[in-house]
Amino acid sequence: MAGFATKRLGKELSKINSNSLPPGIELVSADNFEEWFLDIRVLDNNPLYLNEIYRLKFRFSAQYPIEPPEVTFVKLADRPIPIHPHIYSNGIICLDLLGQQGWSPVQNVESVCMSLQSMLTGNSRNERPAGDEEFVRANRLRPKDIDFYYDDNNV
Amino acid sequence: MPPPNTPEEGLLPPQSEPSRIASILATATPPPVDSAPEQAPSPEAAATTTTTTIHTVVPSSPEDPALLEIDYQILEYLDTVDETLLCPVCKTPFHEPITTSCGHTFCAWCINRALDIQPTCPIDRQPLTKTHDYHRPPLIIKDQLDRLKVKCPNKGCDHICPREHLDSHYERRCEHTMVRCPDARCRKRIARRHVQGPASTCMHREVSCRYCDERVALVDLNTHYDFLCSGATTKCSACEATVVLHRMEKHCAEDCLETQVRCKWHIAGCKVDDKRYLVQEHETGCPYEIIGELLKQRAEDRRIIDNLTDRLVALETERREHQERRARRRELSRQAPNTSHGADAIDLSAPDPSTFFYDMEWRPDLSNVGAGENRSWGSPEDYMLARFERLESRMEDLSKQVVELDAHQSMSMLQQIMPLNQQLVELGSKVGVLNMHTTWLMNMQRHNHLQQRAGAVSSSGSGMGNSGMASMSQMSSANDINNNFPVRLTEGGLPYRTTASRRNSDGRGEPPPRL
Repeated sequence: MAGFATKRLGKELSKINSNSLPPGIELVSADNFEEWFLDIRVLDNNPLYLNEIYRLKFRFSAQYPIEPPEVTFVKLADRPIPIHPHIYSNGIICLDLLGQQGWSPVQNVESVCMSLQSMLTGNSRNERPAGDEEFVRANRLRPKDIDFYYDDNNV
Repeated sequence: MPPPNTPEEGLLPPQSEPSRIASILATATPPPVDSAPEQAPSPEAAATTTTTTIHTVVPSSPEDPALLEIDYQILEYLDTVDETLLCPVCKTPFHEPITTSCGHTFCAWCINRALDIQPTCPIDRQPLTKTHDYHRPPLIIKDQLDRLKVKCPNKGCDHICPREHLDSHYERRCEHTMVRCPDARCRKRIARRHVQGPASTCMHREVSCRYCDERVALVDLNTHYDFLCSGATTKCSACEATVVLHRMEKHCAEDCLETQVRCKWHIAGCKVDDKRYLVQEHETGCPYEIIGELLKQRAEDRRIIDNLTDRLVALETERREHQERRARRRELSRQAPNTSHGADAIDLSAPDPSTFFYDMEWRPDLSNVGAGENRSWGSPEDYMLARFERLESRMEDLSKQVVELDAHQSMSMLQQIMPLNQQLVELGSKVGVLNMHTTWLMNMQRHNHLQQRAGAVSSSGSGMGNSGMASMSQMSSANDINNNFPVRLTEGGLPYRTTASRRNSDGRGEPPPRL
């Protein structure tokens, strides 16, 4: 159905505008129904992410919410890429929720942000994923085309 | 592939390639005129298509459907809908909801798409099979959805109704619903209110705007004139105001202050003829106003008089008709008694009741005062006539009854007399038989008596030859009777004799059976 994603995103946007997002999540821009930017920060005193704000980029396909959105961290002057064993230094996130298998159409932008928020909050390991440098140098695929292997259930 | 149609293709609602080819082939007509190569797709056409995609769904069948389906996902709901009635996938109130075997409810369309990607429930990830694991949601959900107040999705329509009635409004009543263009070759749609009738031609062919030379689809011409037309405005030559060109006439006739107009009391003889703003000033104190008002009043009176005259004429005609009717009745009443009653009728008509009541009727108070019964008949004369007619018909009835009774009576008389006659005949014959028996018995007795006496004579002496002779003759006569007896009986007929003889042997004089 044409414009299904548009309609769904319209609903989400109007809900965000009227109800405002939970603490620690802010909408930066939603100028179209293809690409949104949001800022997130952790709410506790985790020293890894203290006083830092991270920029998230959502890219929606026409099949959203049947298909997951493409979510990555964006590196800007004041927006670093958070350190995390499942976040590559180029911003790509390895999270089953965002993969074809783990995604569910009942998820939305807000719930994804909250999941990432809690993913950071729950982390205590100051490290990048294994083979980060190699991956960042070699990867030409889009995040959704990468075949992640979700093996770590601890973080 | 139809090559000339290429500029049009991008504007068509998305359709699968084979189905579009099929539908194009099915029409088997040249492509619409407006896709001719020299014309770029007009902004209007683009606009129509955009609205199509925004507020309607793609045709569901390969052929062009009569109506586009309502897109339930963009419906505007009047009240905020409870979150529990929102589909978790599309976040809009359920449309054609189904409930999965794990108990979650979704729009059928949404869950189908979701299961295409991943065969698990979007909420609890239990494995699901398309349609196999679908159940009907509780009716209470349907009721709640039906009751939601929605706005008609058609642009320009403000209709608000419960959601269950939306389909019928959209499909049958809404004048803004986009329907097929009356021209079968045209693939575009047109609002129902623009369709003039079954014979109207394509409303999408482009015409040049009279004022700005822009090419505009016929259906959009009015909107173009009113809002979009760039060449439509001009300066009024009299008042310098900017006026929409095709409104100029109206402007000059009603609004423009500089236009030369006559005083509104010119009918009364005012000669003032000047610019409107001067005339308007003048009109407030125009000396002809009094005459004008009088003339107005006169016209009003004239109207009333005309009205009254019309009514009078109508009443006159009615009265004449009434009189004619009465005359006809009088005629009838004169004829009717003469034919049926002769002398009596003359008595009735002698005082000439019609003339008598004629006077009465023309005194309205008298005719109105007449008894309630009278009033319902119109006039006393009518009443009398009616009474008379009624009596006459009753008399006819009675005479008929008399004749009937007469016939009936003679019939029953005949029926009663017939058996009596028979009985009489029977009795007569019985008496005859008895008579014979008696004669025979008497003869026997006499014979015996004679024989005894003869025996006594012969034993006592001769000289009694006479008596012997006499006894002989007696014998022969007795034999005669014996011989005659059966002959007599046969004369009466066999059945009669048997009954008679049986009755005699029974010794009972049974009465014959009554008829």
